[in-house]
Amino acid sequence: MRRHWWKILAVLIILGTLLGGMLSPLYPGIESVKPGRTDAGEMIVLQIRGYNTHFDASDDLPRVWLKLDEENALGATQVMARNARELRASFYIPKSFPGDQGVTALSLVIDNARDGTSVLPSAVFVRHGQEKSEAELLLWKKDPVVHLNTRAFFGFPYRNILVETIRNTYFHIPMWFGMILLFAGSVYFSYRYMKTQHPDDDLRSISLVQAGVLFGVMGLVTGMIWAKYTWGKFWSWDIKQNVSAITLLIYFALLVLRSSFEDEQRRARLSAGYNIFAFVLMIPLIFVVPRLTDSLHPGNGGNPALGGEDMDNTMRMIFYPAIIGWTLLGVWIAQLNYRFFKAKDRLTN
Amino acid sequence: MLSFSEIAALIRKEILVEFREKYALGGILLYVATSVFIVMIAFGELAPATWNLIFWILFLFASINAVLKSFVRESEKRYLFYYTLTHPVNLLFSKVIYNTGLLMIIGLLLSAALVFIAGNPIESADIFLLAVVMGSFSLSLTFTFISSIAIKADNSATLMAILGFPLTIPIFINLIDLSSVALGLTMDSSITDEVTILGSIELLLIGAGMILFPFLWRS
Repeated sequence: MRRHWWKILAVLIILGTLLGGMLSPLYPGIESVKPGRTDAGEMIVLQIRGYNTHFDASDDLPRVWLKLDEENALGATQVMARNARELRASFYIPKSFPGDQGVTALSLVIDNARDGTSVLPSAVFVRHGQEKSEAELLLWKKDPVVHLNTRAFFGFPYRNILVETIRNTYFHIPMWFGMILLFAGSVYFSYRYMKTQHPDDDLRSISLVQAGVLFGVMGLVTGMIWAKYTWGKFWSWDIKQNVSAITLLIYFALLVLRSSFEDEQRRARLSAGYNIFAFVLMIPLIFVVPRLTDSLHPGNGGNPALGGEDMDNTMRMIFYPAIIGWTLLGVWIAQLNYRFFKAKDRLTN
Repeated sequence: MLSFSEIAALIRKEILVEFREKYALGGILLYVATSVFIVMIAFGELAPATWNLIFWILFLFASINAVLKSFVRESEKRYLFYYTLTHPVNLLFSKVIYNTGLLMIIGLLLSAALVFIAGNPIESADIFLLAVVMGSFSLSLTFTFISSIAIKADNSATLMAILGFPLTIPIFINLIDLSSVALGLTMDSSITDEVTILGSIELLLIGAGMILFPFLWRS
């Protein structure tokens, strides 16, 4: 049992991330606001739709602001909850704005005790003129955004397009981490084969490659399903989709290469050489090329990367263990594969 | 182990063999002429974007054939003879340099044929030339290495395509970007990114080839 602790660890971690990742709720968020634009000096009634919110709790009517920047914000003149998810907030938009004339985006801030604070950036666009009146400008300072509630429960951030699919972070991304690590492991054994010429090293290397290819395929599939729900199409010729498909092609070619040689020693030597060569070419492909063009993925083309707003500390608590768990599972798969090859060898010879 | 005189001698031997067995080079030139002719029948005058694409596709197939031919035409016994004479790295470099020259000639002939038949969209010839030179060098590196693996199998041409094509995609992404700049297809005219990546890919390939080729060659 002592030798198998890491397998138990892998299963426990994956079970934990499945439970934690699937069962934790999303934090309350703001789904939509209507109307999205108005003119300065008007009264508007915003119809706000929340997600996972509890607007209608009797003792806990939300406070609502339209925020311009850290110093300037408007409080709602009247707030009325229609049900748990629908809220009406009335605002008077002052004639005068602190900045120059033009169109300014205001963020919507909602706060109540149970849900904590939710923010929708650029919720309402206001067109305003040059007029500067002291009395109107003072309205911006009257209701500062203060005494906000903090969230006391475990959850994941609400993102407008992602919504519940944000949980796929714990499955899609660990696949790619696992794939790279498994391929790196196989390169190590290929290198060792070149040193020792020991057939076991070749089998270890190819077992790891096969497990890595499995992870790559799963990463592609989970990514395609995710893309269907967020970008609208399974395949949108995004640069990262392309390079990962090419990576898989390269490794499929390795598997074809192995099947076209009968002689074991020659097969082992050539596949070790190609494996290292492929890994060397894969590094610029996966780590450099995607950074040069725009991508729909986070981290490219102006989207925030991991560690931006899409990944907060509660998510990290699941995400990092998930990487470890899935990689350990991949090693386990590779090990079973290796033992299968060994058993087959012994039966045929 | 690295000996320039041996590399030079090996390159001279390659050129001699090439001229004695003219069918290999002749076959490739015929391929270039035929494929350009087919393109002309299909398209007539080519738009710059299509020109770019057609050029690189024809170049890819011509180069994969050319490099493989330079390996297949000599028997395995003769390679054993070379192995006793010189270090494999010298053999690799001589092949790579010779193939780079061959691919550069093919690339220039191909572009000349396309310009002659389908119009000349090239706006900055120097960048296009740079793309052809860098493309020849990196494809020659990749294909020389791959064909040293592929010739060990019976179905070497198929295996060459399966192993080589996916590996050339990162190279082609940058080559097509580079020649798009040369053809005036893109707004941004900076080529530093592409040249840096191609250069680093080439360095990686040289490094990997130097380490792996001697080992693969032993069989």
